[in-house]
Amino acid sequence: MGFDFNSLLAFIIFGITIGVVYGIVALGISLIYSGLDIVHFAHGEMYMFGAFFGLVLVHDAGFPYPIALVGAMVLTALLGMFVERVFYRRLTRAGGGYTVAGMGMIICGFGMSVALVNVAYFIWGAEAEPFRANLDYIPRLEFGDGIQVPESYVLTAIISVVLMLALNYFLRYTKIGLAVRAVAHNKEIAYLMGINVPLMISLIFGLACARAAAAGVLIGPMQSVQVEMGYLMLMKAFAAAVVGGFGSLPGAIVGGIMVGIFENLGAAYISPSHKDIYAFLLLILVLSIRPSGLFGIEAKVKA
Amino acid sequence: MRFLKSSLAALVAGGIALSAAAAFAGEIRVGITMRMVSENGQRYGQMVMDEIDLINKAGGINGNTITATLLNDECKSDKGVANANKLIFQEKVHLLIGSTCSSVSLPIVDVTAKAGVPQLIPHSTNSTITQKNSAWVFRVPVAGRYYGGVNAKYVGENIGKKIAYICAADAASQGDCEKMQGQLKAQFGADPAYVAQVQEKEVDFRAHMQKIKGLNVDGIMVAALAETMARALVQSYEAGIGADVRRIGSSSASNAPVPKIAGDAVKGVFFSAAYSAADQRPIAKLFNEMVRARYGIHAPDHDFSQAYDLVRIMEQALKTTNLGLTSSSLAADRTAIRDAIAGVKNYQGLASGPISFCAAPTPQCRDGNRTAVLIAYTKGGEDFETEVLARVTMDENFGLN
Amino acid sequence: MLQVNKVEAGYGKLKILRGVTMTVPQGEIVTLLGGNGTGKSTMLKAVSGLIPVMSGNIIFDGVDISTMKPHERMRLGLVQVTQSKEAYPAMTVEENLMLGAYTRSDRASIAADLEKVYGFFPVLKERRKQLSATLSGGEVQMLVIGRGLMAGPKMLMLDEPSAAIAPKVVLEIFSNINKIAKSGVTILVVEQNVRMALILANYGYIIRDGVIMMEGKADSLISDPAVKESFLGGSVADTSKKLQSG
Repeated sequence: MGFDFNSLLAFIIFGITIGVVYGIVALGISLIYSGLDIVHFAHGEMYMFGAFFGLVLVHDAGFPYPIALVGAMVLTALLGMFVERVFYRRLTRAGGGYTVAGMGMIICGFGMSVALVNVAYFIWGAEAEPFRANLDYIPRLEFGDGIQVPESYVLTAIISVVLMLALNYFLRYTKIGLAVRAVAHNKEIAYLMGINVPLMISLIFGLACARAAAAGVLIGPMQSVQVEMGYLMLMKAFAAAVVGGFGSLPGAIVGGIMVGIFENLGAAYISPSHKDIYAFLLLILVLSIRPSGLFGIEAKVKA
Repeated sequence: MRFLKSSLAALVAGGIALSAAAAFAGEIRVGITMRMVSENGQRYGQMVMDEIDLINKAGGINGNTITATLLNDECKSDKGVANANKLIFQEKVHLLIGSTCSSVSLPIVDVTAKAGVPQLIPHSTNSTITQKNSAWVFRVPVAGRYYGGVNAKYVGENIGKKIAYICAADAASQGDCEKMQGQLKAQFGADPAYVAQVQEKEVDFRAHMQKIKGLNVDGIMVAALAETMARALVQSYEAGIGADVRRIGSSSASNAPVPKIAGDAVKGVFFSAAYSAADQRPIAKLFNEMVRARYGIHAPDHDFSQAYDLVRIMEQALKTTNLGLTSSSLAADRTAIRDAIAGVKNYQGLASGPISFCAAPTPQCRDGNRTAVLIAYTKGGEDFETEVLARVTMDENFGLN
Repeated sequence: MLQVNKVEAGYGKLKILRGVTMTVPQGEIVTLLGGNGTGKSTMLKAVSGLIPVMSGNIIFDGVDISTMKPHERMRLGLVQVTQSKEAYPAMTVEENLMLGAYTRSDRASIAADLEKVYGFFPVLKERRKQLSATLSGGEVQMLVIGRGLMAGPKMLMLDEPSAAIAPKVVLEIFSNINKIAKSGVTILVVEQNVRMALILANYGYIIRDGVIMMEGKADSLISDPAVKESFLGGSVADTSKKLQSG
């Protein structure tokens, strides 16, 4: 076939469009990590629940897609806050607060993941559900020299980027965002600043889960919705978060895009059959050069 | 101490064996292992159990009742083998039914061959299953080697020779993919335009579709399990590959989740199968109604028809055997059942063609059904519709090297 | 302003404070002195609400705050300034200061207070767009005190403002604390640097093993032979003069 610059470009564009979705899930994982010092292993399930909420809102409740997107984000945020309040917080209290929750929290995350899959299984069954599989008209956008990209992919990428920028704006330029960052860095001082720390922790969880839900609703129409969908997404997002530097929000996005591009190029030029390995190859590669990830932040100064 | 323990264990084991023998006298024990992860998967198992119940209610087999044990292998080979071992050595079944996944059936063939237990395959198509020279295995469905030939013939004559392949890693799809490529080469001298090996549960086909789009192919064969196939079909349209490029499904295209998940993307997709719900024979119409009433299935696929045919074949064979049904006659009973199944000739049921077995442990003897129907989807969604494109019977040696 | 009555507190089942009673009158500087592990920081945490009070009570400005959450106490005007290393390194100086004003919503008075803080510590104004990670130890201490002021406190509690800071800078910081007190804010300073603290304060408490061992007016404590014996060595006259003139 020979080398074709155009198809290389196409693969990169496709990599970016899926990569930003990995990015927004990774963003949530990083947000929870930087905020609460826990690696949230049930985050893939938040993505799955988000997709199902979106599906129910569109198919059963008849809402238009954009409203379902927002609705799914809100519902999943509430679910995330519920899980955090009822289960995780109890556990961290026993461990002396989020900072030293450690191993128990990781196991609890895995357990929650299994529990949530089974709850979803109980509600929706094991079979994949189609999400808006209406193919009568799929508009597409043209890039460069005849590279056509379905509009839905572009839309997905745009919404993801908007969600990232919104989060960035929120954290950088609003008072509550400032408080969230303060809680993320040191809960004790945040208390002394008069910040309602438990409320901010709920907010962090809600924000992170809402982002995962958005990814689910965006990916749903492409890949259909199924109770086991969370696992693979978690792995990819996890890789993205680590590549970018765990706990770094810009890192999560860049990591996501890198994973997306890297796996698409790997699939195109090495072997498509092992697509899911490339994310981890990249991970090993980056970690061997920069052990803290690309945007790895310096170790936090703890009291 | 050690002596005490082992003699205690021997006592307990002996007790269990005795009580088991006492309890199971006069019972024909059938073990079933199937993939029951999806709703339909559960219903296939349910159908086998229900049909066995009906046989028992109607007086059983020559006065004996059938005791069936149904286990779920989740389409995982390790679970399937564990199930088979449990059924054979603990439950001491006379006959094993399973599995519904080729990748599970394949290793079980070795288990049943070694243990000397007849095995009826409900719907695994991978050709290798009957090529292991096991005298104990019988395949009710149409083997992949026939499907490959049927598909290739139709594709080469009606669609074109430039075909791209997306082949998922499960054994059935791998078999379907290889057969199709081999047959297009053998019958028409055509090489594949593009071959992509993907994971069993791949979710993202965009890179492949983009490549395929640039190749201007006549058709795309998607060989994958139902949900994976549906995703690939949807993404092929998303990538901008038009409806003029025909999509060819592997054997799992017959499964209801495909039209349900793929929606309109399933339109025009065709595949070969052992049964079509669009079959106009009275027996088929009755069957469709029965399945609809019992399980709420809109149009039963060939996995239902094969489960039904399998029970009928088992019933027919068991009726012709004289079984001791004691613990000492277990091996003899198993052999007798095997020989009776090998004696089934020209069974006419729901299947696309007659099913016959013979005694030799060869694929010619053990791939019972040689006739496939070509079915195309005319409508997607939950209430999908299909039409029969063609019905083709292959030579018993077809597809063998 | 602040009354601590027979307070017992600690971590989990471990009791550190064993019945501490203290008073901080309005407009004064009071210091709590003691070595490492004597219960100074625990005392601050109990007052600010980071750890629960096991028995006894804490009255602030006429209100019993013993069971209030930290952010609720803070809203009453009881503000704790943490040790100097506890700024937010990934935030700019100004963001850190604005965080101090988190509970307030009156933009005009916040802006006025920000100018006041910059007036006390001009170096912070120069660096207001820098990440606080780039500040020196002394500058971070100024920052955390400034951040405390941004809350508009009635009373400020300082946790070892002299820890790990060059002596010259300590002097500057302490003279600013003095100015802050003169502007009407009641101050409680917890210190290990006994000499500096007693020069600064009006009244002092000395804590050991979770109980108040000794208390008295600052100048009488300085001259107390027992205090001299265990904490002080040499003359205090020089620094005293410098501080009052600064």
